[in-house]
Amino acid sequence: MRFSILLFIILFAWHSPAKASEKVLDIQEIKSKSGIKAWLVEDKSLPIIALKFSFKGAGSIHDGIEKQGLAQLLSNTMDEGAGDIKSQEFQKILSDNSITLNFSAGRDNFGGQLKTLSRHKDIAFNLLKLSLTQPRFDEEPLERMRQANLARIRSSMGDPDWITARLMNDKAFEGRPYALNSGGTLESLPKITAKDLQSHVTNWLTQDRLMIGVMGDINKDDLVKLLDDVFGSLPPKGSTDNLSSFEIQNTGKIYLYPQEIPQTIISLALPSIDVHDPDYYALQVMNYIFGAGGFGSRLMEEIREKRGLTYGIYSDTTNLDYTDFFTINTSTKNNSVKQVLDIIISETDTIKTQKVSQEDLSNSKSYLIGSLPMSLTSTDKISSILLSLQLNNRPINYLDTYATNINTVTNEDILRVAKRIFNPEKMISVLVGKPEHIENTIKIETLPNVQ
Amino acid sequence: MVKHPPSKNKLLSLIWGFILSFIFILPVEAKVFNAESFKLENGLEIIVIPKKTAPVVTSMIWYKVGAADEPQGKSGMAHYFEHLMFKGTSTLAPGDFSKTIRKLGGNDNAFTGQDYTAYFETISTDKLAQVLRMEADRMVNLSPPPEHFASEKNVVLEERRQRTENDPKGLFSEQMLSALYTNHPYGTPVIGWMDEIKEYQWEDVKKFYDIWYAPNNAILILSGNITAKDVQPIVQEAFGNIPKKEIPPRSRTTIPPSIGSTTMVLNHETINQPTFQNVRIVPSYAENKSDSLALQVLQEILSGGPTTRLYKHLVVDQKKAISVGFSYDSSALNDSTLWISGTPAEGVSLEELENLVENEIKNIITNGVSDLEVKEAIQRLQDAAVFVRDSVSGPAMIFGQELTTGSTVENVENWPENINLVTPQQIQNIAQKYLDSENPWRRTSITGHLLPLSKSSAERKEDLK
Repeated sequence: MRFSILLFIILFAWHSPAKASEKVLDIQEIKSKSGIKAWLVEDKSLPIIALKFSFKGAGSIHDGIEKQGLAQLLSNTMDEGAGDIKSQEFQKILSDNSITLNFSAGRDNFGGQLKTLSRHKDIAFNLLKLSLTQPRFDEEPLERMRQANLARIRSSMGDPDWITARLMNDKAFEGRPYALNSGGTLESLPKITAKDLQSHVTNWLTQDRLMIGVMGDINKDDLVKLLDDVFGSLPPKGSTDNLSSFEIQNTGKIYLYPQEIPQTIISLALPSIDVHDPDYYALQVMNYIFGAGGFGSRLMEEIREKRGLTYGIYSDTTNLDYTDFFTINTSTKNNSVKQVLDIIISETDTIKTQKVSQEDLSNSKSYLIGSLPMSLTSTDKISSILLSLQLNNRPINYLDTYATNINTVTNEDILRVAKRIFNPEKMISVLVGKPEHIENTIKIETLPNVQ
Repeated sequence: MVKHPPSKNKLLSLIWGFILSFIFILPVEAKVFNAESFKLENGLEIIVIPKKTAPVVTSMIWYKVGAADEPQGKSGMAHYFEHLMFKGTSTLAPGDFSKTIRKLGGNDNAFTGQDYTAYFETISTDKLAQVLRMEADRMVNLSPPPEHFASEKNVVLEERRQRTENDPKGLFSEQMLSALYTNHPYGTPVIGWMDEIKEYQWEDVKKFYDIWYAPNNAILILSGNITAKDVQPIVQEAFGNIPKKEIPPRSRTTIPPSIGSTTMVLNHETINQPTFQNVRIVPSYAENKSDSLALQVLQEILSGGPTTRLYKHLVVDQKKAISVGFSYDSSALNDSTLWISGTPAEGVSLEELENLVENEIKNIITNGVSDLEVKEAIQRLQDAAVFVRDSVSGPAMIFGQELTTGSTVENVENWPENINLVTPQQIQNIAQKYLDSENPWRRTSITGHLLPLSKSSAERKEDLK
């Protein structure tokens, strides 16, 4: 897991249509008799249905230090038998019918996807229903999934990218649930019981948290019936929590995890703004110009194209339920770490003190707006968008107004948002490798929450 | 070996084709893609794959040249050259190719394999003509300024550090392939060896470009909401005036037989989870179509999901493994690879797990597979083809990879019918032919053990300090 992709659903830089009057997607908001809501885009061009769902706020955030990895282990085990159908039989029905059914745990949310050929939709939806309402959590598959997770941790322990992400999470979110290892630790995973998994289901997988996006070969009436059948019997409400928002921690510090490797992994983070902040669109444009755009972004231009110091450098914004942050990730040979860090800082200075040119502004807008159709080329991509819009509490016409919102961003807006984000004293840095000429680092000897 | 990283997943660094082969496993059903094709007078072949979901098109140009066609001592040059293709032409400044694509709302990238080099753009359909003109321009007018050679070489060195040098497992896989492909270019990693990357000169690279980059050595694949009729004039306008070249034959050295067994061992401080890998040569689709199709079905029977043989027997029933893999890459001009891998359960040695996997294979050699297993495997493979069509770039990737490694449009389109002809007897036969360790096909396989630092090697290391 990379720090910059903590959650697959949280943030989309999806952008809007060339003509604001046209609908980007024909999204129907539907509600079943029992009150289950979903956003649907019907498409008959392929005999495929893709459904993505998420229980907002039901993710790893509730694991606790003793049971780190609980939500993830749950996601691995929920498709391992349900009702009267045991693990192997359950998986056999899925594979014989070419049905994809799986679950996933994010830090904030717990969700899953169902993808099926339309001719198998009844079987597919029924298996989804069973796994949500009557998961078995038999000892055999639970143990198998536990062992697979332990092996995954052992395999990752030598991976510098994984180490970097682990350390950044631990330090940037110190004192908060996000700091824990959502993949579990070698000690915590053996403590998780079937009963723990069942309580997570009962407490958190409830109708009030449920959001659904559907794309493909299914009409509204059929979907309404299936939604009632699959999700209608879930408890309406469950547990609540009293977590509060926070800014990322340990800013101004540089953490170093020494590793004997020729290239140092560099990960930087700064506090950022919420998806509903008035500067959100300005941030998207600023981020694109600064480092998210790949070739042509200022970071890529200065560090890779002009100087050959890295293979890739990207900035990104991440919005979790309780914090928002801006990241910069790259890697470079050990003796150029200082140079790369200096250039990054100098670029943050430039973008917060000098207005971007009209050309940069209009080029970035034309990408952000013009690339929208690329995010609509498969049932998977579309169902993901339908879900992420709901998770971010966006209006149903969000895509239709995106172009206008991006177009109104001025270079003063970019200057303002850059000043809000780029305060060097608020930056936390994590280095993994053997960087040269870096002073004032805090050395980390043991990776936290792994053993 | 992409120009810039989509992710840092180290597995990706193994070989692109390795990953892509999984995609190809998927195509199916009579006429999977309904592709149209035509040819320009200069020999450029065009494949058009219709897909209407969004007003978007993926354009991929595949050159029939890759790392395996490099001159000796210039390893990685095909890939380095791929990077230089973004460094400007007589009329376009370095870097402006990608910047222009972004400005048009599109994305672009490129990658290099042993047998091909491909460049692609995904963009709004109404911008296609401009993109094709730029693609045609760099087919003949590439002229990167000299100061960019050095900086881009540094980028490639950083790419190699990131993908391989930072990861002992990556280095180890390279060494296994190197041992397997004796006397054959597939034994050299696509990205090249560190010392050779540092050495090549523009003259070498230019020669490579002049020899191989020509319309009659390329396939243009367009996938999206377009038809052959729509694109014919714009393709003609963009590429029609480029003259064809005399393309040399792709002469490849052959792999001699081997005797004896080879097990390579890596004890490393960053390895905490023991695993084994085993790789052998087997025919690619280009070399033996019917055996290749049978190998594809065998792969599905052995490791096509959690209810197929290896996982069911060794992970679920016997609890001897955490995971087991059997992966056949059908796409290559020459001998292809078959990888078997395993992660043992706690308390199980690598040797024990290897023996258990070996027994599973022996069982097929001796007893064959059932009619039902074959039928179910084929059904799953055929169903998967429908899902492959649910993408704009996926089908273009499949056609490109297949057509540059000896397949044809008909073979890709008819894959579901062809795979349907595979019989249980054929599967037993190919298992006997390619998987019998006592009677190996042409060469013995290479086994790799990845292990934590053993106590003795840890002590040795301590002494060295």
